[in-house]
Amino acid sequence: MASYDSDEEVDYATDPAWAHITPLPQDDGENPLAQIAYHPDYVLAMSYLRGVMAINYHSAQVLKLTADIIGMNAAHYTVWGYRFKTLVALEASNGFEDEKTNWSWRKELDWVQSIAKQYEKNYQIWHHRQLIIDHLNDPTGERERTNEMFASDSKNYHVWTYRQWLVKRFNLFDKEELDTMELLLKEDVRNNSAWNHRYFITLGRLGTDSPADGVIDREIKFAKVAISSAPQNPSPWNYLKAVLRKGNIDLASLKAFCEQFAPIDSEDEIKSSHALDILSEIYDETGDFSKAEQALVLLAAKYDPVRKNYWRYRKRLLGSSENVPTASEKTPIVHATV
Amino acid sequence: MVQVEPLEEGEQPQLATRTEGNTNEAFHPNLYQMAPERVPALHLNLPFILDDLKTETSQKQLSTARSIMKSVDQPFLPPLDKATHVEFLLSPLDEGLSGGFVGLDASRPWLLYWCINALSLLGKDVGIYNDRAVSSLKPLQHPSGGFGGGNGQAPHVAAAYASILTLAITSYYASIGLPEDERLAVYADSFAWIDRGKLLQWLRKIKLPNGGFKVNEGGEEDVRAGYCALVVLALLGYDDEDLRGDLSRGELPLLDGVAEYFKSCQTWEGGIGAKPNAEAHGGYAFCVLAALCLLGDPEEALSKTLDLNRLISWLSARQYAPEGGFSGRTNKLVDGCYSTWVGGCWSLVEAAANAIESGKKSTKMNVGDLWSRKALIRYILTCCQGPRGGLRDKPGIRPDYYHSNYVLLGLSAAQHYYYYDDVSVQSPVLTKSPFRHGYRWKSSKNVPKPTGHDGTGGGWLEGLVSEESDRVGVQHPLFNIPLGAEGQLQSWWEWFNDVGDVDALSSEN
Ligand SMILES: [Zn+2]
Repeated sequence: MASYDSDEEVDYATDPAWAHITPLPQDDGENPLAQIAYHPDYVLAMSYLRGVMAINYHSAQVLKLTADIIGMNAAHYTVWGYRFKTLVALEASNGFEDEKTNWSWRKELDWVQSIAKQYEKNYQIWHHRQLIIDHLNDPTGERERTNEMFASDSKNYHVWTYRQWLVKRFNLFDKEELDTMELLLKEDVRNNSAWNHRYFITLGRLGTDSPADGVIDREIKFAKVAISSAPQNPSPWNYLKAVLRKGNIDLASLKAFCEQFAPIDSEDEIKSSHALDILSEIYDETGDFSKAEQALVLLAAKYDPVRKNYWRYRKRLLGSSENVPTASEKTPIVHATV
Repeated sequence: MVQVEPLEEGEQPQLATRTEGNTNEAFHPNLYQMAPERVPALHLNLPFILDDLKTETSQKQLSTARSIMKSVDQPFLPPLDKATHVEFLLSPLDEGLSGGFVGLDASRPWLLYWCINALSLLGKDVGIYNDRAVSSLKPLQHPSGGFGGGNGQAPHVAAAYASILTLAITSYYASIGLPEDERLAVYADSFAWIDRGKLLQWLRKIKLPNGGFKVNEGGEEDVRAGYCALVVLALLGYDDEDLRGDLSRGELPLLDGVAEYFKSCQTWEGGIGAKPNAEAHGGYAFCVLAALCLLGDPEEALSKTLDLNRLISWLSARQYAPEGGFSGRTNKLVDGCYSTWVGGCWSLVEAAANAIESGKKSTKMNVGDLWSRKALIRYILTCCQGPRGGLRDKPGIRPDYYHSNYVLLGLSAAQHYYYYDDVSVQSPVLTKSPFRHGYRWKSSKNVPKPTGHDGTGGGWLEGLVSEESDRVGVQHPLFNIPLGAEGQLQSWWEWFNDVGDVDALSSEN
């Protein structure tokens, strides 16, 4: 019999190793809608899987069967779930050490990585990986695996979700993590997923706790440098606002910085619609309603016209208590030093 | 210098009215009596500011914007080619799917829901599929409760969601115009076989102590799971007592911590992610807003649990020019399916904004649209229609059933005004339901313009639909099924919970 990681095909119907499993047919009901004309290999493998699940059978053979099915349909969450249970059962019964099995968690992780590269939009693969790493309680090499994925798609939502879990689970809020984000943002300063992760590791994880000394200033500086490199990039502007909020710093402290990119009286020098947006908020807060409106009018007419209705709504809110920060939000007023 | 217009609702170019005729030849100008409409300038130009620094993101965005700009620049907005879309969507139902669709074998109920709901949006009577929907979905109910993505598959909350939505749609259509007894008999066939007790037990197993839900036992946690769970609960007629649970059996109230969990998914950007700390994303934003609106009236649910102003700012930034469509995340490309995920959020947040403003002024106020319906309609009609039927992400990408449903649903959001009505009286049973707020949504063909600061003014937005044949059906803004289907289903559960003599019903037939 072939070892379970080989690509050798198994004919479940004739292989004696599978004779003890009774295949169970699929019940699609009478005259079903949207029935799929499966390949016969899929039909066969799935009926053996149902047979295996019916008797709660977890042997090394199940690894071959589930790998076969995943090779045909990687989105099969039931198969992934059953495979994980089988791996855990095998480990508990020392089944990995069996020569015929020739399997290990490490091999499983390598196999999963090869599947992940084929099916980038898949929910199950990264969850499977998460279950394994959680079980092994060892994140060694995992950041590198996700970095490999970012090389082909640096915004893959499932990979980023996994990365966050990894960082949280193993407390990896460290310099390596920050350096990786810096690198990704150096490659593409518009990678919003990397900005999101940066926020998570620097400020987001804190909940209601206060950030350590210097973190707020460092992040403000980082965002400002990024803005200067491409002032129409929304990510660092949003980031900057979020950092100020976290640090309880008045938005008005950005006035001079924003005016560099959006001098509203010299229209031809306006380089950022996001600066205009923030300026309208600042002018509103400081009671300069006509300037606030002027910024909104510029946005609606010229710099972001598809959002005209939104800018009109913002004008409607000018001077309303909604927009004016409460006293508690306003104090302490600490002006950014960078 | 650009000419600075006042920020009031200005004169917008009116859409030309097409004359009756062969709409398949929409591009032929002779078919039109009226002068071509002016394509709004925002579709004809790249954004005024483009940074010099080039990165992968900016290059992808620029090339996409350039190619879409050519598609949206059409003086005659093409009609919605309903006939070929219907053909595209009927094919899987009538003829089945090829082996190439094996990747959707764990999403069988989704296939039914996407096609059937999209067909209903296109005006087809999908009641004829009720019996087959029932026979297709029955084998998906798991012996231990809930629904799997296929026969013999483990229960999954999205499978339950898509199954219940499908049945809600087909039974609604199948019972239109029937006398009371026959209507109840249709619902009995469609719903009486669902083991609600076991389903509830199963939902308890995927509920997490933090207030979130997993999609299945051993599966991933995200707000999609929570939204699907709440919709299933809301549509299957459970009452307060069912959800409270039996403390003596160790059961906690099922809705404990749920709203707080959803709230914790609002991010530093103002948008909403799949779970706490995850990147803000249109799909998850819709799940959270719709779920919260099942738990409370929009004002209460959205402004007390979320930072509404920052949420609106982020949602608004999802609409791009020259494309006109929505992106799902900051610095990502537009995609037709966000017409629902982002487009569907607007009626919810506008309901909240209207209520807040009305409260302030003590008179009925309407803040008007916070987004551009017309730009989205233009993106959908010019870019999202596949030439051989079906709707799609963007030009150059093949149409599929998922995008067909969510592009059309988004078109419905753009063509209609959906509003929260807390004045109409609800049934005595519903007033006690934890999901009663979800049953108060109405629709209108008339989209109001904003009222002035004194509550006057307003009027209606013109020219959203250039020809009535372009109009798609009205949908419930939280459940994403035809509006009205939710009420019929609710009245069936009221009868079932009260009388429940299903055998007597079928013998009368
Ligand atoms: Zn899409």
